[in-house]
Amino acid sequence: MSAALEARGVALSFGETPALRGADLIVETGEIVAVMGPSGSGKSTLLHCLAGILVPDAGEIHALGRRIDNLNEAERSELRRDRFGFVFQFGQLVPELTAEENVALPLLLGGVRREPALRRAREWFGRLGIDGLERRRSGELSGGQAQRVALARGLVGEPAVLFADEPTGALDSFTGEQVMDLLVDSARRQGATVVLVTHEARVAAYADREIMVRDGRVTSPAVAS
Amino acid sequence: MIRLGLRLAVTGGRAAIARLALVGGAVALGVALLLAVFAGINAVQSQNLRYAWLNSAVTEAATGTEAADAAGWALREDYFAGRRMARVDVAVTGPDSPVPPGMTRLPAPGEYYVSPALASLLASTPADQLGDRFPGRQVGVIGDAGLASPDSLIAVVGRTPQEVAGIIGATKITRIVSVSPQDCSGCYVGVGSDGITLILSVVAAALLFPLLMFIGTATRLAAARREQRFAAMRLVGATPRQITLIATVESTLAAAAGTLLGFALFPLLRLGLDRITFTGERFFLGDLSLTWFNVLLVGAGVPLGAAVAARAALRRVRITPLGVARRVTPRPPRAWRLLPVAAGLCELAWFIDRRPRTTNGQTEAYLGGIFLTMIGLVVAGPYLTMAGSRVLARLARRPATLIAGRRLADDPRAGFRAVSGLMLALFVTSVATGVITSIVAYRGETPVGTATYDNLSIGWYPDHGGKLPAADTPIPAGLTTTPGVRDVLVVRYQGIVGNLPTGAIGCADLTRHPDLGQCPPGAQVGAVYADLSRPDFGSDVYEASPMTLAQLPSLPVNSFVVLTDGSRAALEHSRTLLESTFPDGRFPSTENEWRSDFARTLVQFQRLADVVIVASLVIAGCSLAVSLAGGINERKRPFALLRLTGVRLAELRRVITLESAVPLLAVSAVAIAAGFTAAALFLRSQLDYDLKPPGLSYYVLVGLGLAVSLGLIASTMPLLRRVTGPQQARND
Amino acid sequence: MSVPLTLLGLLERQPSHGYDLKRDYDLWFGHGRALPFGQVYSTLARLARDGKVVMDEVTPGEGPERKRYVITDRGATEVDTWLTEPVAPEPHQQTVLFAKVVLALMLDRPAEEYLDTQRRAHLARMRELTEAKRTGGLVEGLLADHGLFHLEADLRWIDTTSARLDALRAQVKP
Ligand SMILES: Nc1ncnc2c1ncn2[C@@H]1O[C@H](COP(=O)(O)OP(=O)(O)OP(=O)(O)O)[C@@H](O)[C@H]1O
Ligand SMILES: [Mg+2]
Repeated sequence: MSAALEARGVALSFGETPALRGADLIVETGEIVAVMGPSGSGKSTLLHCLAGILVPDAGEIHALGRRIDNLNEAERSELRRDRFGFVFQFGQLVPELTAEENVALPLLLGGVRREPALRRAREWFGRLGIDGLERRRSGELSGGQAQRVALARGLVGEPAVLFADEPTGALDSFTGEQVMDLLVDSARRQGATVVLVTHEARVAAYADREIMVRDGRVTSPAVAS
Repeated sequence: MIRLGLRLAVTGGRAAIARLALVGGAVALGVALLLAVFAGINAVQSQNLRYAWLNSAVTEAATGTEAADAAGWALREDYFAGRRMARVDVAVTGPDSPVPPGMTRLPAPGEYYVSPALASLLASTPADQLGDRFPGRQVGVIGDAGLASPDSLIAVVGRTPQEVAGIIGATKITRIVSVSPQDCSGCYVGVGSDGITLILSVVAAALLFPLLMFIGTATRLAAARREQRFAAMRLVGATPRQITLIATVESTLAAAAGTLLGFALFPLLRLGLDRITFTGERFFLGDLSLTWFNVLLVGAGVPLGAAVAARAALRRVRITPLGVARRVTPRPPRAWRLLPVAAGLCELAWFIDRRPRTTNGQTEAYLGGIFLTMIGLVVAGPYLTMAGSRVLARLARRPATLIAGRRLADDPRAGFRAVSGLMLALFVTSVATGVITSIVAYRGETPVGTATYDNLSIGWYPDHGGKLPAADTPIPAGLTTTPGVRDVLVVRYQGIVGNLPTGAIGCADLTRHPDLGQCPPGAQVGAVYADLSRPDFGSDVYEASPMTLAQLPSLPVNSFVVLTDGSRAALEHSRTLLESTFPDGRFPSTENEWRSDFARTLVQFQRLADVVIVASLVIAGCSLAVSLAGGINERKRPFALLRLTGVRLAELRRVITLESAVPLLAVSAVAIAAGFTAAALFLRSQLDYDLKPPGLSYYVLVGLGLAVSLGLIASTMPLLRRVTGPQQARND
Repeated sequence: MSVPLTLLGLLERQPSHGYDLKRDYDLWFGHGRALPFGQVYSTLARLARDGKVVMDEVTPGEGPERKRYVITDRGATEVDTWLTEPVAPEPHQQTVLFAKVVLALMLDRPAEEYLDTQRRAHLARMRELTEAKRTGGLVEGLLADHGLFHLEADLRWIDTTSARLDALRAQVKP
């Protein structure tokens, strides 16, 4: 097994606020890793760095066998589009688009033509148990439904890595578990690596292992034991 | 990708549709205005060209075909009922005479041609008030090609060569001038089209500026949501270029639709435009037209500009995949923002006593200064808003004041943007009103019952080519007995004596008519101007003339001054009588008519200013309403949550009212002050006048503008109630 | 709840009289139920028998109140082992966990690390239960859920406590 993601001494400050102060982490391919830690400890920031959304001030990030912290904006965008998937807490669906268009969005942005993109998107609705909602707008979905649509969108491009930041944060525990079941099942089926930020132990329990982030550092054993 | 952009643009929910509609509408208005300005400029030029033939006396500029038989030609200015009339006396000497446009031949002695407007006046006016001025009979009507305007009053009167040769300013011509007055140095008939083009440009700027603000406001409507959407797209891997493309498609779509609509709107505006006679004469509708170049420029330029602007706007916000959720507070505006206003006013002040010599220099200096002040106000606005909000927050006793103050202090630019249009409107209003009221107070037309309106004078000025009538020339028979004529005075020509005026009049005449002014105590003869006008700043007392009362009757006549009751019949009858008695000299006129050129232009400008003010007030009001509604919409969640937690609606109302009314009032006060300061500086520098307090209409206008704005603020309250209902606490 | 180990832990701070031990125990771990003297002394006697404490006679022959107990190396080792080892992740462990944390703080031990170790153990157990739930039937799932929720409650407590360690340390070691 080779590392899907690796962070070495990653540091990042927002103005005066240091969010990460030398975080080290290795995530093996196909592994599901839960990132835990107190609020404000830098979990989301770490995830954003790993996903190429933020560029660290110092340190290196390697993803899928390539160094990504020195890529430019457009290259990182393409990496996200083609190799990564995302599921966040809420507010990630484009409200103007229907559910199926939202799911197809990464494909459309990647240049897939409209019809095939929508066809591929629709397959996911059955798989995630949300068929019938294809034409709804995000405002017309419940939180759990929206989250499944977001999951479908995260998975539709068959990403190598799925990044999830509090994917169940806005859901009740039962719905949250359903979403987590689907997430883990789908990721395992696709062989995707998952980085899962959560503060809920029951969500973290879906992962293969967990790491702790505290004060901008990874404090648990950084390598899978 | 373009398709995705279009799809997003048209399905963006109600707020996005509203945004599109508003931007499109504003662009449409702007495009229509721009087209109107182009059409106006074209019309001014076309109209000017229509004046060309009246300048035919300037023989070196003549370009028409050479005629074999030279014609006698004398152009004079006449008036009817306060309207200017051009009268050309011509004398044909053979079959091949030069022919002006709109006519097939020159009239023979005893014939005359008139313009259609004059023809209808002739038909509806008693002959002793108008028709008797023209010897002979009307044989035709001048065609449109010879008219500057459908309302032009023109008479081309056929006389014998001897008769014409005796007229003041007569020449002989073989060709008609056909170049525009602006390309011909001696051609004084026509409009100063450069100046008018400049004024139109200022008008356009004064209107387009608030429109641009409005477009800016409308674009920011639901901007947070739009940015959030872009952020969501960036997250799943849209590159910055793709986002830019989508945003560009969106705004270009709105601009393109707006441009089309603007072209559709233009014909309507054009119909109204020919009523605004800013050259003093109505335009032929056909002259108010666009060139292909204009059409192309606007039709392609506006959407292109919108695309460029969209790009520039996006470059500034920089949408990251994490979007707007994590936005740093913008830096507070600094005090340097006050500099441009100060610079503008200083510039104007600097030119006091340093007035540039050329008209161009003046326009650049003054318009430049006023423009700088205007832009300076826009720059200073956020700072002023912040200053106001600080005061508000410091005085805050209740939560509403605190929230409003904090929000304004947090983003004063947004708070200011809502009222910026209004501020500009107020500034323009104040400058225009200040300048025009003052000029009119010094130089404007006066109403019936004042000497300048009622008194008709005919004068001879030997140093300007006039031949003084002999000392024994009687007052024309029937003049004193004309109904409405109160008296006829004779001013004698005393020649050039020291610095005194050339006229002399017995002091007894003045004593009978105290409104004309007084002799100094003890004097018998007063030194006066031929038309008995007083200099602008003159006192009521004339200087004494060195002539004695006994010498007066032996002096040649300088002028006859007919004192009337101001009625049209009295004035025009007297004028007609004088013209038939003295057919070779300058025609009689009242002081008002003499000045009418300038005064009428002023009145036109005032009308233009009114249009600008009303239009920009309306646009500014729309801006305010849109940004208020947008502001409420943007914050409906927090407001809804506040309401859920028990904050009363009245408290929220107070927040909204305060956060728009405070910048509104703060900025209005500054705009009005700056406007009048600029006007005062301009008046002092250019004309050496003092600023006069504006008339009632100004206060009404400003009061109305502010009242409407406050009304608009109040009108958003139902919206506030609706969008902060409990259902809004739901997340989407 | 392990009274002998708790008393040993208290003794590791400093040699103490039986009475002091009882008072501290009641204050920190009694939860409203005082430890009977009999239990204190019989426990201490057993600890002495096992060589985990010895009597330090300051003023010999003056009755039990004059005796101070001192922890031996053996006793200290036992305390150390006990603190370092995670508690078996079963529900209703708060009191043990709590005692360990307070003592660790009193003894200037790395309480945070204990908590982390505990968290890992809890999470590992939760993973097993989650796996069981995902692969098993409904009944297994429901049973697993019961365990999961209780473990989660523990974990929450662990998180809260680690967030408040500094405050607690200040109270425990005045
Ligand atoms: N855009 C930003 N600007 C300024 N500070 C930021 C920004 N984003 C994060 N921070 C700060 O960086 C630190 C880490 O933030 P981060 O969002 O990574 O925490 P987290 O572990 O995800 O917390 P939570 O569990 O509450 O989501 C915090 O102190 C936060 O205030
Ligand atoms: Mg976070």
